[in-house]
Amino acid sequence: MADPIIRLVNLHKSFGSLVVLDGVSFDIPTGETTAIIGPSGTGKSVLIKHIVGLLEPDEGQVWVGDVDMATANEKRKYEVRRRFGMLFQDGALFDSMTAGENVAFPLRYHTKLNEKQRREKAEEMMELVELPGVYDRPTSALSGGQRKRVGLARAIVLEPEIILFDEPNSGLDPLTSDTIDELIGKMKRQLGITFIVITHDIVSCVNIADHIVMLNGGKLIEHSPTQSFIRSENPFVRSFLRRNVDLDALKPL
Amino acid sequence: MRMFVTIGQFALFCVAVTRATLTHRPPVAASLQAAYEIGIRSLPILVIISTFVGTNLALQGYNAFKPLGGQSLVGMFVALAGVREMAPIMVAAMVAAKAGTEMASQIAVMRIQEQIDALEVMAVNPYWYLVTPRFAGILLVLPALTIISVFTLLLSSYSVSVFQLGLNGDEFLSHIQQTMSMMDFVFTSVKSIAFGAIICMVSCFYGFYSSPGATGVGAATNASVVVSAVLCSSLNYVLSELLYG
Amino acid sequence: MTALAQLGRFGVFAAQVLWRMATPPWEISEAARHTWTVTVRCFLPVIAVVFPFGMVMALQGLQIFNLFGAQRLLSSLVSVAVFRELSPVLASVLVAAQGGSAFAAELGAMRIREEIDATVVMGIDAIRVHVVPRVIATLIAAPILNLVGSLSGICGGFVVAVYVKGEPAGIYWANLWELTAPSDIIGGAFKATIFGLLIGLIACYQGYYTTGGAAGVGRAVNATVVVGITTFIVVNYFLTSALFGAIG
Repeated sequence: MADPIIRLVNLHKSFGSLVVLDGVSFDIPTGETTAIIGPSGTGKSVLIKHIVGLLEPDEGQVWVGDVDMATANEKRKYEVRRRFGMLFQDGALFDSMTAGENVAFPLRYHTKLNEKQRREKAEEMMELVELPGVYDRPTSALSGGQRKRVGLARAIVLEPEIILFDEPNSGLDPLTSDTIDELIGKMKRQLGITFIVITHDIVSCVNIADHIVMLNGGKLIEHSPTQSFIRSENPFVRSFLRRNVDLDALKPL
Repeated sequence: MRMFVTIGQFALFCVAVTRATLTHRPPVAASLQAAYEIGIRSLPILVIISTFVGTNLALQGYNAFKPLGGQSLVGMFVALAGVREMAPIMVAAMVAAKAGTEMASQIAVMRIQEQIDALEVMAVNPYWYLVTPRFAGILLVLPALTIISVFTLLLSSYSVSVFQLGLNGDEFLSHIQQTMSMMDFVFTSVKSIAFGAIICMVSCFYGFYSSPGATGVGAATNASVVVSAVLCSSLNYVLSELLYG
Repeated sequence: MTALAQLGRFGVFAAQVLWRMATPPWEISEAARHTWTVTVRCFLPVIAVVFPFGMVMALQGLQIFNLFGAQRLLSSLVSVAVFRELSPVLASVLVAAQGGSAFAAELGAMRIREEIDATVVMGIDAIRVHVVPRVIATLIAAPILNLVGSLSGICGGFVVAVYVKGEPAGIYWANLWELTAPSDIIGGAFKATIFGLLIGLIACYQGYYTTGGAAGVGRAVNATVVVGITTFIVVNYFLTSALFGAIG
């Protein structure tokens, strides 16, 4: 396992009386893809919002490099966030802009490029996500798969070290879903980006992840490399796998 | 062009509501519930607003008549401007802002979550189920709100005139008595009922034809207030001219 | 959330916005775009609302002035009332109902679709980029629309006085400035500016902290209009007392 780029230590988080994270600790290795899976409502999205400092834990630490996001001030958090790219479930594209303007948006604030250079850079990124020629299209005219790709292009435009991906496959048909998975693999190989992917689609998990972390009821159930994960003896993991997919279909991988 | 389409759509909507209301059993319990909710929720804000509009009218009247040496006429000014004009339009503004926007956004949410389609599939007339009780509720509660507003306004302008401006309180009251009659309460209520009817229909209409998504709900809510405000203030002149002109 | 906690959070939010308004970098083109949109969208509604108010003002004013035989002062009453009170308040109500509620809806939708979170994760100051230009827009649009409203209110009064009640037009225009001083116009504009700032802050606050899906956006819009109107009717009393010194 490579050195960890992110270390979560004993995270606790409750909203009122609802306990969402109940003592979660694990490491995320550099340059590899870690998938976080689990049933709906087990705190997966809450967990990654802690990693980027959108939420603060009640207890525990979130180390990104040598900064603890749990206690860092806003200024430090903004510095750390420069190392991240994040994709939200529905893309979180700005409706008031075109697809390409969305991709170019971070460049306006974090680089000294002029408008023409920003456009070139954005178009380059959109080609990388295999979506050329839609720069001037309004976001409302994009399909679900295209929205995710524009979101991905926006996430990689600042050349981040880490990309957080919330439900890459939600709302997509299996074919489109596969092409997004391929894209994640390509980004990882070409750009050496660390991916953290939240999903409940076990098939896509096995396709893209080097490590799988399973959460249930705010607790860590299992954390292991993909191949040992699918052979896990943990009863909860077994039942989750059985419900989601025919196990034999996973074996040839 | 789009405006005419909207007006046409609105007319058809009103026809559909009227027909549904006349051909179904009146939803008594739901109407009382709606009246209660509209009344209770609008009341605190209405009292606050009436208080401050009253204080302001007293200041304004005082300033306007001082050059004529007519400070003592503040009472009459408050009765004419406040009771006849401001009270009903204020009630209307508050009901549009509070109850109207709520109607628009509730119905819009039901539209985009396909709950209105679900009603139709269950053979429940959505106009009768959603619009009729709200309409009846507003008509029931508005006269009461208006009268509360009138008294709050008179009380607060009396306080300002006497305590802040140092006018004679008895004179103020006698001017109010001379200027106002029972008919003013009737006319004021007539006005506010007319405004209430407009607000209710406009808000429900925009809710019913909301476009999808969170943006659609916002737009529907937004349009309902603005259109209500424009229609009510124009109607206000027509009614004033007819009733007092 | 309790009312006190809401108020505290609003205070912090307002301070954050005002601080960013006072310090560069400014999103000038965004602010200009929003200002233009609000002004254009409110333009006709402001005219359509203040005009009939001017008409009503003339209608009721004539009844009073008939008692004195002082009909000639009608236009001065209309202009004082319009410049000081009617137009600033009504223009602001419409900026709240049209512009403010649209901003609450936009920001609310951005919150729900995680666009605000996305902005923060990109390491961009969401308040500076999304909120400040909108607050600037209502701040600038309100006084402009106040001017539009004032003119249309005076024209409304003119229409009733001259065409409906048959007062001479020349007298209406001649007495327009009898009681109105430049300080009234400036005072009205000042009030509208304060209201514009308040609407911007209230609307953006409601939108920025929206929770609970599409219904939450509806609630944010509703709260914007209600809180906005209530706030400036209350603030208006204190401003009128302070500006037009009506003590004893």
